[in-house]
Amino acid sequence: MANSWETERTETENVILKRRSVRYFQKKQVPAYLIKRIIEVGRFAPSAGNCQPWKFIVLRDPEIIAGITQTVIKKCQALSKLLDYRYRKSFLQKNIVNLLIRFMPNDLHPVPFGAATLIAQGKLKLFHDAPTVILIFKDVRGIGDPSLDCGIAGQNMVIAAHSMGLGTCWVGFAKLAFTGKSEWKKKLNIGYPYEFSSSLVIGYPVGRPDKMVPRVTTAVDWYEDGAKKTFY
Amino acid sequence: MDKISFREKIKIPRYDDPIQIKMGLIKIEEALCNGCQLCIRACPANAILLKDKKAHLSNIPECMACGDCVAICPQEAITLVKNYKYTGYFKTIDKGDLQPPRFYGVKDD
Repeated sequence: MANSWETERTETENVILKRRSVRYFQKKQVPAYLIKRIIEVGRFAPSAGNCQPWKFIVLRDPEIIAGITQTVIKKCQALSKLLDYRYRKSFLQKNIVNLLIRFMPNDLHPVPFGAATLIAQGKLKLFHDAPTVILIFKDVRGIGDPSLDCGIAGQNMVIAAHSMGLGTCWVGFAKLAFTGKSEWKKKLNIGYPYEFSSSLVIGYPVGRPDKMVPRVTTAVDWYEDGAKKTFY
Repeated sequence: MDKISFREKIKIPRYDDPIQIKMGLIKIEEALCNGCQLCIRACPANAILLKDKKAHLSNIPECMACGDCVAICPQEAITLVKNYKYTGYFKTIDKGDLQPPRFYGVKDD
């Protein structure tokens, strides 16, 4: 969907508008200096009270990446057996899950639930075979909303990576490897005050995934000159 | 903003009921598809499968209208048709139609 506006937009606007999540990577490793550059722009993200409540862990060892994937697959298998409320059959399970959804509407939203089942079945790869994974941990003692600050830092890194011709994807499911009793907290030496926030996978994409696509518009209420207008 | 009534709020939509949860929809122009399978690898929902050497939206679509297949297709054979829509507790509100990135210049002020 290239158009003549592309030249009128700033370079940053074009990178942001073309960014698509990439889930198919070349085997080629990303040079370390590029990853360091990406982390550097994350470091300069805005945060509440400049508290910078983040910690980054870079994973480039295939064994560690595969190990975390295995842990998440096992947890997804257990979860989808217990909680998959799609195509549910038992009356009891339906009602228990319906109750749970009210307490955990975000974790048990229908969309990630489909993904959990796919990961459990091995149809969706957790880190999409990416050569580099950046785990983002939040310092729970941060000011205001540390998760939001980690998100802002992460998106800075994503935009920088795409401007370098790399592909990225946010992977929230890795959280399962760092919740409850987990060997990975010990192996990666993670404890209080750090908690898993999200993770990013980075690599060279196969094909050309970055392109502008249509997306649903959102209602914007605009108050000006004593009147209200809504546009989409 | 759009309203969510109390009745809607207490109702958890059934994932397997197409009236309560409408998933996203894409259209694949089979004549243009060369079976390169890039869209199949790009799809996060495993919604596209290969059928007769052409990409095909599988029987139980889990499409979330992300547009990753539309973007990666070198043949420009895929178009995004519909966004997903939920009812009840997860009711989709305050959304308009699908639009490509728009540009606003000085003349639009």
